[in-house]
Amino acid sequence: MNAGSRKKALRYFFGKVVEAMGFKFTPDGDLAEFLLEQEVKLEAKHGVPFCPCRPIRRDRMRDMQIVCPCIPFHRKHFDAMKRCWCGLFVHRDVTDPDSLPQVPEKEMDLE
Amino acid sequence: MSETFVQAIRIGEVAPGGMKAVELNGREIVICNCGGSFHAVDRRCGHMNAPLEMGTLDGFILTCPMHCAQFDVTTGEALSGPVPHDLGNEPLPSKVGTFLNNVGVFMQQIRTESVAIHKTKVESEYVWVALA
Repeated sequence: MNAGSRKKALRYFFGKVVEAMGFKFTPDGDLAEFLLEQEVKLEAKHGVPFCPCRPIRRDRMRDMQIVCPCIPFHRKHFDAMKRCWCGLFVHRDVTDPDSLPQVPEKEMDLE
Repeated sequence: MSETFVQAIRIGEVAPGGMKAVELNGREIVICNCGGSFHAVDRRCGHMNAPLEMGTLDGFILTCPMHCAQFDVTTGEALSGPVPHDLGNEPLPSKVGTFLNNVGVFMQQIRTESVAIHKTKVESEYVWVALA
């Protein structure tokens, strides 16, 4: 399996999902390529493309909430930051992802 | 050497996003309609020979119905191997667990090969395929 081809496939599938939620891939092309590559490796190891910046806890209910794109499970947090945790996806209107703040989860009024 | 195209199907037989299996000169082929662009690939999955037309076609990506291996229909390249099934958190009866473990050991040894593709052209309301 070619990692480059798999990245292309993930980009295709993710794009369809996140666009419907008002997000897009980060304009930082290098970062997007790097993160997708990590997801390809995680998918090869675990069978699903987990978020590269979250720990896998071996708890199915929690782990399924960090399968990329995990936007629906953490919408409130991501909308506050205008990006997802790792920065692969940003709000559709974002042009400078480096200017976006990182808001710790504990500062959010999350359920 | 010039390619010999064989008449395969009428254009209207496969809607965009659809697939159809045909047999051409003894070869099993699947014709894929990717949004109006036709592609032809071998019918048998490069993993365990499942009939690919029974899977799904999303854009250029064909997903096998059996273990969800994926292929790029424009190149034939295998994009991913089988997806492991989640058996949940409930413990399985020991006989079933042992059987599935044994099957899993064999399955890990099976590579997912790319599938062959064939040139296509659309002419006179038909899709024509040049067998590779």
